[in-house]
Formats: sequence, C-alpha cells, structure tokens
Amino acid sequence: MAYENLAFLIPLLPALAFAITFFVGKKTPYGGGLIPIFAIAASFLISLMITIGLLQNPDQVISQSYHWFAIFNLGILIDPLAAVMLTMVAFVSLLIHIYSVGYMSHDPAKSRYFAETSLFTASMLSLVLSDNILQLFISWELVGLCSYLLIGFWYQKPSAASAAKKAFLTTRVGDVMFLAGIIVLFADLFKLVNGSIPDGVYLLRFDEIFSYIPEIAAMNATILGFEVSHLTIITLLFFGGAVGKSGQFPLHVWLPDAMEGPTTVSALIHAATMVTAGVYLVARTFPMFIAAPQSLIIVAYVGAFTALFAATMGLVMNDLKRVLAYSTISQLGYMMLGLGMGAVVGAEAVGVSIFHLISHAFFKALLFLCAGSVIHAVGTHDMRELGGVAKVMPITAATMVAASLALAGFGIPGTSIGSTGFFSKDPIIENAYLFGEHAGNWFPYLFAIVAALLTSLYIFRLLFMTFAGKPRTNYGGHESPASMTVPLSILGILALFFGAIVVEPLNKFVSGTFVNNFVNMDIPALAEVGNYELVHHAGHEPLLIQWMPVIVAIIGLLITFVIYYQKAIDMSRFVSKDNVVYKLLYNRYYQNEIFTRLFAVRFVYEGLAMAGYHIDRFIDGIVNVISYLTIEAGDSFRKIQTGVIQHYSVAVITGVSLLVILIKLVMEVF
Amino acid sequence: MLPVLSLIVLIPLLFSAFAFLTKTREQARVVALMGTLITLILTLYMYFSFDSSSAAMQFEEMASWIPSLGINYHLGVDGVSMPLILLNAIVIPLLILFTWNDVRSASNRFYGLILAMQGAVIGVFISLDFFLFYIFWELTLIPLFFMVNIWGGPNKRHASMKFFIYTHVASLVMLLGIFGLYFAAWDQTGVANMGITHLVSQFPMIGSGIARDAIFLALLFGFLVKLPIVPFHSWLPDAYAEAPTAGSVLFILLKIAGYGIFRVILPMLPATGTPDMMITILGLLGSVSIVYGAFLALSQKDLKRMVAYSSVSHMGFVTLGAAGLVTLSISGAMFQQFSHGLILSIMFMSVGVIQASTGTRIINDLGGLATKMPKLAVIMMLAFMASLGLPGLTGFIAEFMVFTFSYVNVPTFVILALFGVVITAGYHLWAMQRTMFGVYNGKIGEVFDLSNVQTFSMAVIALLVLYFGLNPSPVLDMMITASNEIVSLMAAMGV
Repeated sequence: MAYENLAFLIPLLPALAFAITFFVGKKTPYGGGLIPIFAIAASFLISLMITIGLLQNPDQVISQSYHWFAIFNLGILIDPLAAVMLTMVAFVSLLIHIYSVGYMSHDPAKSRYFAETSLFTASMLSLVLSDNILQLFISWELVGLCSYLLIGFWYQKPSAASAAKKAFLTTRVGDVMFLAGIIVLFADLFKLVNGSIPDGVYLLRFDEIFSYIPEIAAMNATILGFEVSHLTIITLLFFGGAVGKSGQFPLHVWLPDAMEGPTTVSALIHAATMVTAGVYLVARTFPMFIAAPQSLIIVAYVGAFTALFAATMGLVMNDLKRVLAYSTISQLGYMMLGLGMGAVVGAEAVGVSIFHLISHAFFKALLFLCAGSVIHAVGTHDMRELGGVAKVMPITAATMVAASLALAGFGIPGTSIGSTGFFSKDPIIENAYLFGEHAGNWFPYLFAIVAALLTSLYIFRLLFMTFAGKPRTNYGGHESPASMTVPLSILGILALFFGAIVVEPLNKFVSGTFVNNFVNMDIPALAEVGNYELVHHAGHEPLLIQWMPVIVAIIGLLITFVIYYQKAIDMSRFVSKDNVVYKLLYNRYYQNEIFTRLFAVRFVYEGLAMAGYHIDRFIDGIVNVISYLTIEAGDSFRKIQTGVIQHYSVAVITGVSLLVILIKLVMEVF
Repeated sequence: MLPVLSLIVLIPLLFSAFAFLTKTREQARVVALMGTLITLILTLYMYFSFDSSSAAMQFEEMASWIPSLGINYHLGVDGVSMPLILLNAIVIPLLILFTWNDVRSASNRFYGLILAMQGAVIGVFISLDFFLFYIFWELTLIPLFFMVNIWGGPNKRHASMKFFIYTHVASLVMLLGIFGLYFAAWDQTGVANMGITHLVSQFPMIGSGIARDAIFLALLFGFLVKLPIVPFHSWLPDAYAEAPTAGSVLFILLKIAGYGIFRVILPMLPATGTPDMMITILGLLGSVSIVYGAFLALSQKDLKRMVAYSSVSHMGFVTLGAAGLVTLSISGAMFQQFSHGLILSIMFMSVGVIQASTGTRIINDLGGLATKMPKLAVIMMLAFMASLGLPGLTGFIAEFMVFTFSYVNVPTFVILALFGVVITAGYHLWAMQRTMFGVYNGKIGEVFDLSNVQTFSMAVIALLVLYFGLNPSPVLDMMITASNEIVSLMAAMGV
C-alpha cells in the first residue's frame, strides 16, 4: 500500500495552501481559492485511496510516529474510524471550497477567507489522524482558532466580533476540562510507569493509554464523599471538552451565534466538521469510556437531552440559519446518544454514531449551502420575508427537499429504501429502545423520539415558509451559478442514496476500529470493567417500534403542511408575545441572559474582576502607606542630622559596634 | 579561546559609553545597533557551539579577583542561562530597530541606557560568583529607573521611584541572604568563597534549620519581588505602564528573578528546614498569581496595564513549574521565561504602536483598528493568541508542560491555576474585540499602520514565537539537561 507513505501530506498540503494563500493569495486565481482547492482535492484523493486500501485489510492500520519534544510525539494513525472521517472531512471541505469560489466572489477579503479555511481543513485533518491525545488537543485548539477567526470574518460587524469571542470562550471552558483530563491521565500513567519513561515510549499515544485502562479504572478518588474511578473522572473531563466543541447542553450557547460568519463557514465548520470533533473524541477514546463506570450513561443523557432541548428552540426561530444551527445541536445530541448506547451494544455504537456523523455532514452541509444559495440570491435570511423561492431557484429547492427528507429520516423500515438520514438515525433510536428495554430506563428513547417529531416539524416549517407559497416581499433573486449548484447536487445525491448503499459495511468497518495491529481491545471485557451489560441485538423489535421514527416524521410533515402550506390553522394565537411557551422558546430559555449577562458580565467581570481590582488597590495602598511612613520617619530622623562632626562619629562608632556584635551573635547561632 | 562571555557583557557596556558620547540620535542608534549586532553574532556563535547534552558550565572563564574574600571573576553558561542570553541578544537589536524612527523619546542617552541594560542583564546570567552577580543585579536597576523617570508617562516620577525603592529593598534583603550564606559557609569550611555553586552546595551543612530557612527566605523574597509574584507585584503595573515602549520591553527581558529561582532557590530547597512549606509557598503564590493576575487584567481599562497584569499572571507559571520539582515541570517553567520574553515584547510593541498612532490606550476609546492597521492586526493577533496559550505557539508549550508535570507533585495548585485559563482567554479576546474589531471609531482620527522597520522587528519576533512553538527542542533540550542537573542536585541535598 504505497499511499500510506503519503499520509503525512493529508494535513500538510492544506497547511501549505494556507501559507501560500495567506501571503500571496490575492495574486492567485479566484482570489486565492484555487490553491486550497487543489491541495484539498489531493488530500481527499490520498484519504480515499487509503480508505479503499484499508477496506481490504481493516486490521492493518497505518501508524507512524515521530519524536516531537521532551517526551511527546507527533504521529499519524489511520484506522477505519480515522479513515472514514478523513475522507468525509476532505470531501466536504473540497465541495465547500468549490462552492465558496462562487459564494465569496464579491468579497474583497476572500483571500483571507480561503487562507483561514485552508488552515481549518489542515487542523481538522490533523485532529482526525492524531495518534496521540496531545496532538489531538493541539489540533482541537487550532480548529477552535479558525472557527473564531471565521465567525469574526466580517469583524467590522460588532455582532460578528462578539459572536466570535463568545464561541471561543464558551468552547474554551470545555477545552480546559479536556486539558485537565489529559493532565490527570498523564499523572496516572506517570505513576503506573513509576516515574520513568523508557526512550521511544510515548505515554500519551492511544495504544499506550489504552493498554493501561484496567489499571486506571482501578484507581479511585473520593469526591464529595463518593468513590469515583479515575477513569470516570478522566473520561468525563474529556466529555466536558466534547460538550464545548460539539455544542452539547449547557455549552451549546455559542453555536447559534456562530452563524454570524459566512454561510459556507457555518456549513463546513459549524455543521459538518469541527462541531463533530467532540463526537470524534469520544469515539476515539471509546475503550476508555466503556471501561469507565457511569461515563457512557452520562454521555447518553446529555446527548438525548440536547437532542430534544435544541429541537424545541429550532421550532420558533425565524432566521434560516438559526433553525439549522439548532438542528445541528440537536443532531450532535443524537450522535452523543448513539455513543452513549455503547452501554448496551458495545463497539457497534461507534459505527452507528460515526455513520450518523457522516450522514449528517452530508445533509447538514447541504442544508446550509442551500440556505447560503438562497441568501446569496435574495440577500435575506429571515424566513418571514421569503416564500416561493422554489420558483426562482429550482435546483436549490430540489436539493433542499432531499436534505430535509434525510434530516427528518424518511425511509421504509425493513427494506433498503430510505434517505441516508433514515439509515443513520434509526439505529441510534433503536439502540435507545434496546437500552430502555434492557436497563429499564426509557428517558433516552423518549427524548430521541420526541426530538425526531420536532425535527420533522422545524425542518418542514422551514421548507414550506421559504420555498413554498408566494413571495412575501419583493426580493428578486435568481438561481446560483454552477460552481454552487454542482456541489449542491452532489451532496443531494449523497443525502438521498448514500445510506442505503453503505450502511451495513460502513458500520461494521468502523465498529471494528479497535482491533488491529495498533491496538487490540477486548471491548466486552472492558465493558465488564465499566459495569455495563452488553446485549446482542438481533433487530427483533416490535414492528411499531421499527416504524415509530418514520411515523413521527410523517406526522411532523402533515402538521406543517396543514399549518404552513394550507394555512388551515391560525398560528397567531401561539406565535405572540403573550404566549408563555412561545416567549420562553423564542428567548431561548433566557440562556443568553443567564450565561452572558448574569454569569459572564455580572459574576465574572463586575463581581470577581472588580473585586480583584479593589483588592489590588488595597495591596498597593499598603505599599504606599509603608513608603509614606518611611518618609515620615526619615523626616523625624532628619533632626539627628545636626551637622556636628562629633555626633556623627559617635553614631558611626555605635553603629559599627552594634553590627559587629550582631554578626558575632549570628555566627553563634550558626 | 575567545573570552566570549566577557565580550558579550563588555561590548554592550562599551557601546553604551559610545552611545552616551555621540551627539545625535541618528549616530546613537547606529552605534547601538552595531553593538547589539556584535553581541548577537557572538551569542549565536555561542549558541551553535553549545553542547545541549552537557550539564556542565560551558565557555567558563575564571580569574582570581579579591582572593582574601574568596571573590572571583567567574563566568559560565549552562542550559539555564543560554536561552535567556539568546532571548536578550535577539530581541534588543530588534527593539532598537523598532525605535529607529521614534523621534519623541529616542536620544543618545536612550540608546546608551538600552545597551547598559543589555550588558547588565547578560552579566547576571553569566556570573557564577555571588559578588559579581549582585553587582550586575543592582546595575539593572539604573537604566530602568532612568528609562521610566525620563521618558515615562504622566505618572513617571511616582512609578520610577516606587519601582526603584521596592525592588531595591528586596535586593537588600537578598543581599542579607547572600551574606548569611557566605559567612555561614566560611565558618563551616574555613575558606572564604563567593562562588554560587560552592555556596549552594554548602547550604545543607548549616546546622540550624531556622538559619537555613531565614537565608532561604531572604533570597526567595528578593527573587519573588523582582519576578514579581502576587502579593509583591504592585510596583509592576505602574512601572510597566508608565515606561516608554522600549522600557516595557526591557522590563520583560529582565528575566533575572526567574533565573535566580532556578540557579539558587531550587537546589537549596530540599535542604531548608521546612521544604514542604517552601514548596507550598512557591506553588500557591504561583497559582494565585496566575488566577489573580488574569482577573486583574480583565478589570483594566488601559490596554497597557492589562498587558502588564497579564505578565504577572504569566510569571505565576515560573514558580508553579518550579514547585513541580520534576525535570519537565522545571523545564516548562524555564521555557515559560523564554516564551514570555518573546510574546510580551510583541504585545508591548503593539500597545506602543496603538498609543503612538491614536494617542490613547484606553480600550473603550479604541475600536475597529484592524481596518486601518491590518499589519498590526495580524501580528497583534498572533501575540495575543500566543499569550493566551494557543497551541502551535510558544506559550502553549510552556503552560502545558508546567500544568502537566507540576500536577504530579502539586495537583491542588494546578487545578486552581486551571481556572485562570478561561479568564486569560477572556481578557485577551475582549481587548482584541474592543480595540481591533467592530466599527472604526471615528473619534480617533487618522491612524497609520506599522512602519517597515516596525513590521520587520515585530514580525521576526512573531516568527520566533511560531518557530519555537512548533519546534521547541532547540532551546528546550538544553533546559531539560539543566533541569535534570537541578533535580539531581536536589536529590543530593536529600529531601
């Protein structure tokens, strides 16, 4: 397999494209767009060839390590999990870069845009192929930087500058937890090797970490009176990082605001790739999670809750992109839930969740790009001003319908007919059912089903309000150029047909990612360490349960059809400031007030920082008082300065004698 | 062999004298640039012939000076001092370029003081004799005092006096510590010797635990005030903020206190009467400084004071890493000194440019500068990101090493310090947003971007921040060797 020698080029080519575009982008074709496109296309081809090679021999993974500094390494690990992620990231990034050439054509700063998106792609690819947790963390921070820069791309807009800062800071809270997790993990590993690390051994490489899982799980710490396994602490800290990055409750607040960036950025970073890094982290360290008591359950709960919670807010937004943002949060919740279901299905959960990640990347990138196409053409993203767009933009509308069907999960259970989203979301919900049946805990399943209903409601509401009916304002508009519609069509096809073809092999391929020449994990044995009881599920759920997700999706479609297409129900009673529920949803549960105004401004800035300010004035005051007293004392001592030589000589002699006595005394003490 | 260590101290001092003798600013800046370039070439020669794998003193020079008191002219470098000398030798010529067209403050005396400062600081790093060490240590005060006192802001008199007296008193306490050590060792061995290594190795022989603690604390106090660490930091915001840009950068390059901690404090620590308490002091003050400094930075309205407090916060990593007591935490602390010197130099230069261009440093009076000053925006963004610890830049390497490896021995303080990380990101981004982004504040009037020399000098430092962030080994390896030596010295002292 000669392609493995090219693996290092996967992140390196986009990084080079960044450097070139950053310095001389303005002078290159398409305002700097062409070089990144070629670089990413090359990365995509290499990833694809490696993936194809790996499909033949899934247990012969690519693993290369180089010494970096001190006891750390940089390295490449391309196992099935990384391979499919790499291919997806490079592919989506490539399409979005092509689309951007059209979308950003009028922006004077487009070379900066392409430089930053190239850097993002490089960092994201490096994140995916890291063979150690430190490199993963570093790339994790770099994608965060790119997200910050790109949300604030139009930095002259105060709202964009503010959203960028909010995104960075909120995810930073998660990042610190992730960092703390690495620190605790390292300390444990350091203890387990008795403080001496042999040359050439890199403790933070995944194979090393995984080989110490049982020992770390056996270490206990007492927190607030509870005995907690170190592994639970570490994995939950990692999960904290994932919560920040992947917009899980309660650190999801930055993601809707992140829509201030260009729509292509929302599609690439805040839908398809970066926000899934948290899911990828949990999947990557899955052997740790499954050996950590409680961790997977918490992952499942947070995921299920987020899926539902975000969907409720998606129902009432009037901004195209914000609906999609809440939808992304909700779908990320599904992915987390999918991983959490490892508590009953073991490693299969990784395959299921990652498949939903890939499928979501296609249909959500598509949704955003369609929205971008509309915004590009008509210049507004307020759905109340739109309507009837399908007539002017038929291709965009058709692909949007495809994406919506995928998001809502339309398909026929028991057959191989269905959208990609159907094949990816259904197994997650089924596993949640299995979890309910097996563990007697039905919350994850209920949340997932209700969220599925809401998903269908908000996406068809969006579809009908934007594309159907008559224009509500005079917005003009036209179909977008080919550089935009071609990527849309490719993604549309993928959103509809990709799942049916690859679901079985892909799930199996990714689920087997922990058994190869790099690591050889016995997941069922680890599950015993973590006190999870795995069951073999044969797909024998009752027919109603199999049909349930599709039924709720159809119900959602019908309701929105009646309300927003036929306009048979007057919504004005509900959509008003007097309705408490509407107000609560519309104001997003007042999270902005709680997080930004109350916590960040009142507590941290006006409380803690200002308290510090006054304390510091006090400390400074003490110093000034001491100096004042010294000056006063000096003034009084000035009276000794008589100018009479005799007085001085007496003083000198006394002083010297005292000094000698003092030194003698000190010597005695020694 | 060429007495290269003597030369890198004497050449700046000599050129300092030349600069004072010149008549005009134009002559002085050429003299200054020449002097610092010669120093840079010699330093680079030293750096490239330096053996990173050896913990021994290199380029050693030794001559008897005052034999009756055991005072020698003894110079040498190892992995503790080499990176810091390199830092000074690289940044100071760039600083001179940065002020090349600064008509407002730069005069012949100005350049004379910069050169004197460089000689004095390098002198501290290479002295292996306490007597010499203390002379250079005190010598560093003088250029800084005049720098603030002559070219400082509106509050310059107060700030310069406060800085001078505060740190001078601390130096005197440190001197008492040196004397205590010197006389006790003399008493012990019957031989007078001011050698730093000798005195440190004699420290455990002192009989009384209280005396050892007293000597140790006196030395520690001197270093902590100079570093500075909370609560002895209150001279810093005034001095840094009132100083002209070049003065602030010189303050940043004054890494002598951290150096003292590695050279003197750490090897002595296990032999104190109460080592656990001393570790607690170092670790606690370190993490308190990190968090407290970050909150203070957040509360500032003046951009320069914000940067000054961020410096307090960053210095916390030096003592926290030292308190970690393992090779890699100590190396991380050393790397923090190096990294901080580079990053904060750019940050102070950025603030200086903003002030010169807009006439204000008040964050709320600025806004939208990125549109008018794109070059500054890029470089300043890189420096701010480095300062908040973004991976790929030097700050992260240092902070990550300090956090990770200190956790092994002082977990509580590391957890405490981690709370500072988000706040640190907060004030950096907040300041960036208010000054560079948003709508351009029309009240500022016409502004100009970086001049070519300014761009050059800031970009070179920025590239170093990036280079050593991606590949820290060229300086980190020698730090690791030196830290290993410190750890084995500590082991020899017996914890």
